[in-house]
Amino acid sequence: MPHRRGASRQTARLRGASWEIRSFLVASGVIVACFLLVLLYLAQATAVSAAGYEAQRLAAQRDEVRRQNALLAIESARLDSPARVETEAQRLGLVRAATIRVVGPEAVAATR
Amino acid sequence: MTATVSHTRLRVLFALFASASLLLSTRLAYWQTVGRADLLSRATDQVHSDLAVAAQRGVIRDRSGAVLATTVDLRSLYAIPAQMKDDAGNETRSAVAVALAPILREKVEVLRAAFDSGAEWLFVRRRLPEETAARIAALHLAGLGFEMEPKRLYPNGAVGAQVLGFVNDDGLGQYGVEGRYDDALAGTPGRLAVARDPANRELALGLRTAVPAKNGDELWLTIDLAVQNAVERELAAVVDREKAAGGAVVVLDPKDGAVIAIASSPTYDPARVGTANAEALRNRAISWTYEPGSTMKAITIAAALDRGVVTPSTSYQDVGYAVIGGRTLCNAQCKVYGPTTVTQILARSQNAGAVFVAGKLGASDLNSYLQAFGFGQRTGVDLAAETGGIVRPLAEWYPVDLGTISFGQGLSITPLQLAAAYAAIANGGTLYRPYVVTGRRAADGEHRTAPVPVRRVISEETGATLRTMLTTTVDNGIANAAALKGYSVAGKTGTAQIPSDEGRYVDDAYISSFAGFVPASDPRMVVVVVLEKPQSKLLGTVPAMNTFKAIATDALRYGRVQPDRP
Repeated sequence: MPHRRGASRQTARLRGASWEIRSFLVASGVIVACFLLVLLYLAQATAVSAAGYEAQRLAAQRDEVRRQNALLAIESARLDSPARVETEAQRLGLVRAATIRVVGPEAVAATR
Repeated sequence: MTATVSHTRLRVLFALFASASLLLSTRLAYWQTVGRADLLSRATDQVHSDLAVAAQRGVIRDRSGAVLATTVDLRSLYAIPAQMKDDAGNETRSAVAVALAPILREKVEVLRAAFDSGAEWLFVRRRLPEETAARIAALHLAGLGFEMEPKRLYPNGAVGAQVLGFVNDDGLGQYGVEGRYDDALAGTPGRLAVARDPANRELALGLRTAVPAKNGDELWLTIDLAVQNAVERELAAVVDREKAAGGAVVVLDPKDGAVIAIASSPTYDPARVGTANAEALRNRAISWTYEPGSTMKAITIAAALDRGVVTPSTSYQDVGYAVIGGRTLCNAQCKVYGPTTVTQILARSQNAGAVFVAGKLGASDLNSYLQAFGFGQRTGVDLAAETGGIVRPLAEWYPVDLGTISFGQGLSITPLQLAAAYAAIANGGTLYRPYVVTGRRAADGEHRTAPVPVRRVISEETGATLRTMLTTTVDNGIANAAALKGYSVAGKTGTAQIPSDEGRYVDDAYISSFAGFVPASDPRMVVVVVLEKPQSKLLGTVPAMNTFKAIATDALRYGRVQPDRP
């Protein structure tokens, strides 16, 4: 009888130890999982922030390229300006054609 | 030996801690509940920026798409004098001034005085040319920085300035298309509310509310840059040669009233509006009135032909003058022509003949036709600051007015009104409302301007008859200097006296003009040239006709218009 009582006490102790280990493992698992989740969140948040900064940098770069393009378009328009072309033509000594011969469609048809 | 702490002390200590904890908890509870909104607001204010996003002002183009006006962000240079220090902390204001002076073409002392003015932050120079800004940026000077500011640019310089108008320092369109279409060109600013980090960069995670700016519409004009350039070149040349007080030229497409070119002298450079005087800002083609003189005889005769009271061959005996309302109105130099037909009245520009025709027509009908042709009222052209001129109500006419108005004295008109009236004669009798904007490109698509026929003024037949008579005036009459090789030209000269403030006419000063269209057989353009006080005085119509010829020659070549004569 004393032997039986000792055995059941040992079984209860073992059962208690197993519960403690399980509890410890579960708690550890929860903590690790939470930690990983937090890490994941932080990684994502950092990535989004970094992407945001990169997007902002690219947008600024795009705006600057657009601005440079607009400046080039204006320079092109300035160079194409009839007033500038006339001035340049005069500088090069070009003169207006005194007469321009216009050939009518009948004359063209007659040569064919 | 073991130190013992009395229970009383422990209780006091506990009570202190408990009280402190309670106070902190209460405070925390307060900030989490009652004071939450305030705290959140203060925290948000530190990172939150709420800015207006400027809309881009619309581009203005000519009929072929050439850029006439556009807006670009240029760099403005600012200074923070307190930050002008080198690595050792020594002040560098003088060094910065010395480095900037040659680039900005400014005196060192002026820059130094600006830095020493006590201002914490100041603009050194606004909207710098790109090359200048790049040279300054390359110096990496401490205490200097750049800020983008929009600037309206006109790549063709002063060409088209009177049509385009300009944008003032407040970003508001003034005069011309910029003034008339300011709302459409300006667009609508947007808003951007965003969280920023201490480096003023936008945070991707955080508050972000954006209402995008609606950029201004792009406008396409009826103006032809090449013709506009020719018109301005010729006007500037004739005003200079004739030492004229001013001048204006209008080129219209008679088929629909589209304005191909408008020029006015004196004029201004839209990039340097600050240096222009008030007179230069006035577009004489639409905002200035004058007594037209003999160019109005075509209108008087058109009315009489249309009413059927005369024909081109109706004749009268010219004695060099006409008496009407007790006043004697003479031909130029009181020349006597004898038997004269209506065609010859126009070809010789006889004042007495015009009075004869007006007498047949009557004051009421002449007045009605003047109104129908659009005189005394704004044409409705889509440009800012148009004036309507003066045609007095019939009830206010003296008997002599029938005579003087028949040859263009006693009423005031704008060059554009005359061009629109001649366009009606050229196209067979329909008065069109002149217009400058042919299309508008907005976010919701393209909007095209339909020509607006205001009314039929004269019949097709009258128009054709008058075209023939005006062609005779150029071929064999007073306007022969306007004849062009290879093209039929129809037109009429005008010399008018200038009324003074005292109600009399100014001595020995005239306004000379020519109004015509070409080719007369199938008119492609109406050109009106007006010169104010040319030094040729009574012969001022000759330079006006020469100007017409030069403009028409260029425009016909450029437009590849087939000659209608051998």
